[in-house]
Amino acid sequence: MARFFVERFLGMLVTLFVVSIMVFIIMELPPGDYADRFAFRKFSGLGITVTEADIQAIRVELGLDRPAVERYFSWIGNIVLRGDFGMAYAFETPVTRVIGDKGWLTLGLLVVTLLITYVVAIPVGIYAAVRRGSAPDYALTVVSYLGLALPNFMLALVLLYFANRWFGASIGGLFSPGMQQAPWSPAKLWDLITHMWLPALVLAWSALAYQIQTVRATMLDELGKLSVVAARARGVPEGKLLVKYPARLAVNPVVSTIGFDVNRIFSELPIVAAVLGLTELGELLLRAYLDLDMNVAGAILLILTTIIVVMNFVSDLLLAWLDPRIKLGG
Amino acid sequence: MDPILQVEDLTVAFRTEEGPITPIQGVNFAVGRGRTLGLVGESGSGKSVTTKALMRLLPGNARIDPQSQIRYRAKSGEWVDIHRLRDGARKLRQIRGGEIGMIFQEPMASFSPVYTVGNQMVESIRLHTSLNRREARALAIEMLAKVGLSNPGQRIDQYAHELSGGMRQRAMIALALSAGPALLIADEPTTALDVTIQAQVLDLMRDLQRDLGMSMIFITHDLGVIAQIAQDVAVMYLGTIVEKGPVREVLKAPQHPYTRGLLRAIPSLDRLTHRLSPVPGDIPGPSERPPGCPFHTRCTEAIAGVCDRLEPAETMLAPDRSARCHLLQTAGRATA
Repeated sequence: MARFFVERFLGMLVTLFVVSIMVFIIMELPPGDYADRFAFRKFSGLGITVTEADIQAIRVELGLDRPAVERYFSWIGNIVLRGDFGMAYAFETPVTRVIGDKGWLTLGLLVVTLLITYVVAIPVGIYAAVRRGSAPDYALTVVSYLGLALPNFMLALVLLYFANRWFGASIGGLFSPGMQQAPWSPAKLWDLITHMWLPALVLAWSALAYQIQTVRATMLDELGKLSVVAARARGVPEGKLLVKYPARLAVNPVVSTIGFDVNRIFSELPIVAAVLGLTELGELLLRAYLDLDMNVAGAILLILTTIIVVMNFVSDLLLAWLDPRIKLGG
Repeated sequence: MDPILQVEDLTVAFRTEEGPITPIQGVNFAVGRGRTLGLVGESGSGKSVTTKALMRLLPGNARIDPQSQIRYRAKSGEWVDIHRLRDGARKLRQIRGGEIGMIFQEPMASFSPVYTVGNQMVESIRLHTSLNRREARALAIEMLAKVGLSNPGQRIDQYAHELSGGMRQRAMIALALSAGPALLIADEPTTALDVTIQAQVLDLMRDLQRDLGMSMIFITHDLGVIAQIAQDVAVMYLGTIVEKGPVREVLKAPQHPYTRGLLRAIPSLDRLTHRLSPVPGDIPGPSERPPGCPFHTRCTEAIAGVCDRLEPAETMLAPDRSARCHLLQTAGRATA
C-alpha cells in the first residue's frame, strides 16, 4: 500500500508539472500582452501619443520582456515556494487578494456537490437494483432520464422560483446581503450552508442522474454473481450480504469517475453561477481574459486543474482501498 | 436407512419471458446419514435447480410447488420443513452454512474478489458459532490445513485470485465446512479442474466425509466419478429421477435405457478398440418437454404408442432401488 501510494503521488506531481506548463502556454496564447492594454487604458482619451518605446518601457517594468522559459520558472517558482501568484495588473493588487475567498468557496461548492451526488446516488442506485422491475425502480429511471435531459441552468431557475416561494429562501449569491463583507464566524458559516445547498443540488443534478444509472447497472451485475449466491448459501443475513458483497463492488465505477464528475461540475459551474449570482472563479476568469490579465487567469486555471488532478489521485487511492485487485497492476 | 434429508414430490416452476417452465417435476429422494448420494445427469437435467431448491436459493421468478416437501433432520435431532420456512427466516439462515454447506463448480467465482479467504471463513464461522474473532481465525487456519493447503497461516490472508485452481477448490471446501455442516452439497466440484487435481479433490472429499461423519450430495455428469465417491445414486433426466439405488447395483445392472446409455458413453482403457457410443440426440429444452416418457425421443427401445403417450410410473425393484420405465412395467406384467 505504501509503495502504491508513493508511486501514485509521484505520478501526480509529474502530472501537475506538465499541467502547469500547459497553463502557462494558455496564458501566452492570446495576441498582445498586458503592456499594450495598460498603455491603452492609462492614456486613451488623454490626447497623449503613446509610442512603441513607451509600451516597451512598461513591458520591461512588468517583466514581460524576458524570455518565456525564464518567466515560466519565476512564475511557478513563486507559486510553489511562496504561494505568490504574482500581480493582478488590472487591479494593481496581488492575485491572491483578488481571488481571495473565491477559491475556497469554489472548492467548498465542489465538495458539497460531490457529497450530495454520492450520498444520494449510491443508496438510491442500490435500492433500484435490489427492487428491480418494481414501481419505485421505474419511477427512478424516469426521474434520472429527466435529470440527464434537462439543462441545469433551467433547473436552477425552476428551483430558485420554488425555493423562494415555498421556503422563502433568499435568492442568489452564497451569502445574505449583510453577511457578504462580515468576517468569518459560525453565523456566517451557517449562512453559507443555507445558501449552498441550492446551487450544489443544481450542479449535482446531472451527475446524480448519471451515477444512479451506473450504480444500478453494476449492482444488477454483481447481484447475479456466484459469490453472492455462495455468501447467501453460508447464511449471511440479506442486509449485511448486500452491503458487504455486491454493493462494495457497485461503488467502483462511481469512485473511478470522481475526476470526471469534478471536470463536469467545473464546466457547468459558470452558467449555473451566472444564473444564481454566485461568487466563484469562472466569472473572474472570463474578465481576466478580456483584460489580458494573465496572472489572474493563470492562477485560476492552475487552481482548477490542480483540484482536478488531486481529485483523480484521491479517486485512485479510494479505488485501491475498495478493490484489492487494483494493486497488482501497480 | 437413517435419513438426514427427505425430498418428496419436489416440483419447481419458473416464470420466464417465453411462459412458464417446469424444470423439476415430482422428484423424490432421500440422503442417508453419513452416506453420499450422487446426482447424475446431463447439463439441463435439473440437478443444480434441485439442490438450489433444497437451500431455498432459487431466483425470484422460481416457485416451489406447495405439494413439495423438503424435510431436513437438524443436528439437534429435530425435523425442519425447509419448504415451509419464510424467506429470510432465522431458521433458514441457520440451516444455510451451519447445517447444510454448499460448494460450487467455479471456486474462483464463489469467492468474493475483494475479501480475503480468511475474511469469508471467519464471517461464516462467527455466524454459526459463538467463537470470537481470534478463535474463529484459529479454526479457519485449522480447516485450511485440514483440506491440505500448505502454509495455511499465510493463505488465510490471501485473495482467491492469488491461489491456484486446485488450491482454490480446497479453500472453497474449507469455507463450506468451516461452520460444521452435517450435510454438504457439492455441485460439480471437480468439473472445472485438471484430471490429476480432480482425483486429489475427490480423495480429499471422501476422507473429509469419513472423518467428519458428514452426509453429502454430490452432483456430477460423470458416472465414473460417482463410482469413486458415492454409495447411492440418482440419475436425472429432464427434471425427473429416472433411476435410483445403491451405486454398485445401478452400475452393475442398470435398468433404465438412459442409465445404460450413460454407462456406454464412459471411456475405458479396457475397451480402446471399441468406439464410444454416445446417447443419441440432445436433451430437449425445458420448454419443449415431450409428452409421455421424457426420454422417449432419444430412447432406442421406446415402445411406439406407449412411451410417447403415457408417463411411466416408478417401478420399485427393491426397497431402495427403483426406475421409471415402461419396459420394466411390461416385463413385470408379462411375468405376472
